[in-house]
Amino acid sequence: MTAIDPKQIHQTAEFQHERPLTTCRIDPRGRFVFAGAEDLNIYRWELETGEKTTLSGHESWVRGMDFSADGQWLLSAGWDGRVGWWPLGDRQPQADRLLKAHEGWVRCVRARSDGQLIATCGNDNLVKVWDAGQRETVWELAGHQRHVYSVDFHPGGRFLASSDLMGIVKVWDLQTGKETRTLDASVMTGYDKKFAADMGGARDMRFSTDGQLLACAGVTDVRNAFGGIQGALVLLLDWVTGKPLRQLKDGDYQGVGWGVRFHPAGFLVAAAAHRGGGGVLWFFHPDQEKPFHTFPLKACGRGLDMAPDQKTLVTAQADGYLRVYLMTAQA
Amino acid sequence: MVRRNRGCNGLDHVISRRGFTAGGMSAALALPALAASAPHADLRRGHKRILQIYLQGGVSQFESWDPKPGTLYGGPFRAIETSVPGMRICELLPHTAQRMHHLSLVRSVNLKTNDHGVGRKIMERGRRQEGYPYVGAVAAKYFAPTGNPLPGYIHISTRGLIDDTDAFLGPRYAQLRLEGVQPPENIRRLPTVTSGSFRRRNLFRLRLNQRAARRGQTARTDLYNGSFEQAQQLMSRRSLFEKEPPASDLERYGTHFFARNCIFARNLLEQGVTCVKVTHHGYDTHAENFNFHLEQLGEFDQPFATLLDDLHARGLLESTLVVVMSEFGRTPKINRMYGRDHWGASLSVALGGCGIKPGMIVGKTNHQGTEVADREVDGGHLFHTYFQALGLDTTRPHEKPGNPVPIGDPAMAPIDELLA
Repeated sequence: MTAIDPKQIHQTAEFQHERPLTTCRIDPRGRFVFAGAEDLNIYRWELETGEKTTLSGHESWVRGMDFSADGQWLLSAGWDGRVGWWPLGDRQPQADRLLKAHEGWVRCVRARSDGQLIATCGNDNLVKVWDAGQRETVWELAGHQRHVYSVDFHPGGRFLASSDLMGIVKVWDLQTGKETRTLDASVMTGYDKKFAADMGGARDMRFSTDGQLLACAGVTDVRNAFGGIQGALVLLLDWVTGKPLRQLKDGDYQGVGWGVRFHPAGFLVAAAAHRGGGGVLWFFHPDQEKPFHTFPLKACGRGLDMAPDQKTLVTAQADGYLRVYLMTAQA
Repeated sequence: MVRRNRGCNGLDHVISRRGFTAGGMSAALALPALAASAPHADLRRGHKRILQIYLQGGVSQFESWDPKPGTLYGGPFRAIETSVPGMRICELLPHTAQRMHHLSLVRSVNLKTNDHGVGRKIMERGRRQEGYPYVGAVAAKYFAPTGNPLPGYIHISTRGLIDDTDAFLGPRYAQLRLEGVQPPENIRRLPTVTSGSFRRRNLFRLRLNQRAARRGQTARTDLYNGSFEQAQQLMSRRSLFEKEPPASDLERYGTHFFARNCIFARNLLEQGVTCVKVTHHGYDTHAENFNFHLEQLGEFDQPFATLLDDLHARGLLESTLVVVMSEFGRTPKINRMYGRDHWGASLSVALGGCGIKPGMIVGKTNHQGTEVADREVDGGHLFHTYFQALGLDTTRPHEKPGNPVPIGDPAMAPIDELLA
């Protein structure tokens, strides 16, 4: 097996779309990559052939996707308030169902690894937990006061974390449907006095495989929200203590952190967009604030995923390209 | 031409009317006639008013009055039906959508500028040149009833944009800016100043005014007097500021800052203020345009719709011109920060009420919203339209001795199809 070395990362492919992309995911078998865009469709590229397929059905943009635990279904979170189930391997996938899930945008959808539950969140300030088979709500979790940006299941399966615009991370017990505690990610939000508006929220949120850490990608140090002048950040929270552990960032890099993944080898990778254009992939050790490696992107990075081979990364970028990278030495 | 009753309204008269010299400010406040909440009789005889809602920073036409869902630059929001068949607006305005039968839309405004200040001035003055009064000042000049003790032009805004709103009309017609439902700073007599001392100070001030007037030094004196007079007028209606809105209002409008300002605006209009301008900040969305429009228009929608309801229910809408405007719109192209930038080439204005045919759509933009495709108008056309809707002949000159200045830009004309 070729050794994984983030410092050797290099681009291996790119797939073009005519509109800026908003997010991306690689399916659990590593065959397809899916992307949302600034239009009403989802796009699927077969990694080996580059064949592009359009999945139509949503009436707004899609910025959140996940896969059912059995790898058969693509789940899509639409800003039309609906969650879609798509048979991801079909030649021309048609939505098996587009279910009204939230009032306003559905910002995130996540499937639990045991295949039993799905979680969504949205602009109605709600978190909903769904029976994956029946596609019916199990819990409707109220408590957030502002739009809910991200959800993720703790690897232990019992708890769900949800994060809102104000940097409030709530932890829900899925056995009781009750909120058990609140984690403080308020460093990820800021009130812009000049424009009288709040800016923040985790644009991606992931537990580490061992469940000890929760990583939130977003912003910090909001100076001019309407001009995009704020720092890009990955905040690490300690699951046991519930306290912020470390702010992972690269000095005063101004922009937004849009994606984060834990690599089984112990490092994190994050995708960020710079306010002036361009973007980066950052590679962090969880115990160090600064990235140990930075890889420049050709355009703003708006989504990130890692393939099952743990070597391949994909990014959705603002220039409409889906770019594929390998974290190994070039052949 | 509509003419305001130009009977004696000088400072001395005003102060005498209030008994100011007789007992100082506190005595004036105690006068029952001034404390009364009922509108002045003049208002019942057809007082025309303006409610301006100014969405500062440049609201996106795509995310408000001219949605283009599913098109190249349409963004993520959908269009929804309104109470006017065939008229669709952005889904961010569900409450307003159900009141569109009170409003009309102009979707073909081209200001030919992407500059905040220039756009604001064109929209407010109907002209590109400097030195002309704002909509509110013109309204105060020609429509404010003589007997109403409140200022003619009140602007509720948390931020001060400095400009000469009255131009040559004179400071009496300038905007009085209030930072929300609170009186201007330093309006109250200091506790350390006794009422007797206060009265003597004012008499001294008046004597100085008279002396300055005899020497022909009227401009600065007028300016000072205008400010002082406005402060006095507001003090006479302190209850406007001090009274918490009823729970029923807060429930219908909301409890946030803009909601309270809309309740306040309604009260001021009811009390006879001729032009009330409410600025809602936060539309200059170079980044995160969609998240911020969600927040800002989410805050705007319900209070504005409720304000329309109240004006209608209280019989004020037929005498009140309602205008929702910005200094420009936002670019069709969505930038890399999910933002939209400044765009003066194709924006929309919503207006209704006094003198405006409701439920109309004037002009249109092309399929992608990148340019005006039909019935292009400018701030000058809108300016004529506002005032002709109120019954003012904007082709006539201002009451400016020696140098007649047409009220509206002679190169422009009203949007006739909007006039009732």
